[in-house]
Amino acid sequence: MSKFLFVVPPFFGHISPTLSIGASLLARGHEVKWLGITPLAQAHLPEGGEFIYPEADLAEYQDEIQRILKRQDDGPACSGPEVMKLALEETYVPFAKMMMKGLNNFVDQWKPDVIVNDCITFAGSLCAILKGIPNVTTTPVPPDVMGDTASSAPKIFEWQQNLIKGLQKEVGIYDDDIHIHSHELNMVFTSQAFAGFEEKPPHMQFVGPVKGRPNLAPFDWERLAQAKTPKVFVSLGTLLVDIRKEFFQKLITAFEHEPVTIIAATNPDIFEQWPDNFIVNGFVPQSELMPHMDAVICHGGFNTVNDTFSNGLSMLITPIAYDHFHTAKLIEKAGCGVSIRYKRLRISDLRNTVFELLDNPKYRLAAEKIKQTFIDAGGNDKAVQLLEDFAMEAVKDGLIE
Amino acid sequence: MDTITTATKMNSEEIFNLMKQFITEVIGEEFVEEMDITPESSFTKDLEMDSIEIVSFSEKIKAHFGDQIDFTGWLSEMDLDQLINLNLGMIISYIETCQS
Repeated sequence: MSKFLFVVPPFFGHISPTLSIGASLLARGHEVKWLGITPLAQAHLPEGGEFIYPEADLAEYQDEIQRILKRQDDGPACSGPEVMKLALEETYVPFAKMMMKGLNNFVDQWKPDVIVNDCITFAGSLCAILKGIPNVTTTPVPPDVMGDTASSAPKIFEWQQNLIKGLQKEVGIYDDDIHIHSHELNMVFTSQAFAGFEEKPPHMQFVGPVKGRPNLAPFDWERLAQAKTPKVFVSLGTLLVDIRKEFFQKLITAFEHEPVTIIAATNPDIFEQWPDNFIVNGFVPQSELMPHMDAVICHGGFNTVNDTFSNGLSMLITPIAYDHFHTAKLIEKAGCGVSIRYKRLRISDLRNTVFELLDNPKYRLAAEKIKQTFIDAGGNDKAVQLLEDFAMEAVKDGLIE
Repeated sequence: MDTITTATKMNSEEIFNLMKQFITEVIGEEFVEEMDITPESSFTKDLEMDSIEIVSFSEKIKAHFGDQIDFTGWLSEMDLDQLINLNLGMIISYIETCQS
């Protein structure tokens, strides 16, 4: 049995798949812990798992952490190049620096066999290099979001490289390689076909969506059962707080008098009253709800994208910022949905597109094809097998006692 | 060749109007109505153009000016801050330089 340490960012979309794999590893008898820069409620953790929040080692950074978290609200108003700066320079790199001390201390104490870092949580890989611990990376979104900057935008590539090498030097890694991700195993939670990779580097493994994290959110199933019109699930994810009201106002205007039932995951407090055909809950058991839906509207958060196509549903994606645009392109290419950029979203297009998705079977057929590539990718079983084999190889190579 | 170039050479106001027309075609008339497009308008901040819209904008420039102007090549040489601050005026003067 092995000890796995997941190193995660303070963004639930990135934590979520690690909770699902962690649950499977725990069920197999492994020891699993998570470490992050903000606390995580125990209710999210699979039984037997523990979340480490190195409070004392993070004490000096509290104001800075809160400032950076608040700054994420600016994301939706930022342009593409500004978002690149916000993400890498203002968020990922500083978070990595702040996490090093607490992470190094905990790793010295617990001695994990494998450090599994999320793709934007560089501290995990850096710590693994410094301590000589085998390292795996998890990537919840289709990779290659920024494209091939080395040839298409050399100055942007240089900026990325300089930032990362600067970070590496600061933590004590002086060679010329890039060490923010594992070079041995990078597990991606989508299929190779959907991600649009004809070829892939050998260390990259597309395992498809993973599931099984605890989600105890209550839901009024009876009310759902009474709904007789097509059911459309709407999610804006856990970020993007500022534009929530505006987004849902558009939905209300488009659908309050239409023969559809909208199941929305958002805090109901944003409006005093919702139309009768809207079922609104702050938290929903999304994976259990999805099989009952007929279509999905979302901004492109990757867990919702995975839940949608795992159920062969069509999607209206309204990309806002970050990697949403890349995901939107992949969806249009696969033919399983329609993309309308949030900034250019007209009410009439919103309404017509949803009915087009419900009435025209071609989107569902394309979604079924993606569903099959997800199933073939192997999911939790494949991820666990890769991690166990990886830990075993490390033992053989003498990296683990 | 010289005669053609001279015949199609545009002044900055003509270029500005043409750019405005391209932008309207790319992002849609009703969204442009809410904007006050000037040479100071930044592509990303004021016009809120995303990468897909910038690509279709650059295709329009290519279709109009042909090989005379390498808009995509010009963009690819920029660093992040230059991209963030890219405005219509910069494109107008780039096109003017290419014409001269």
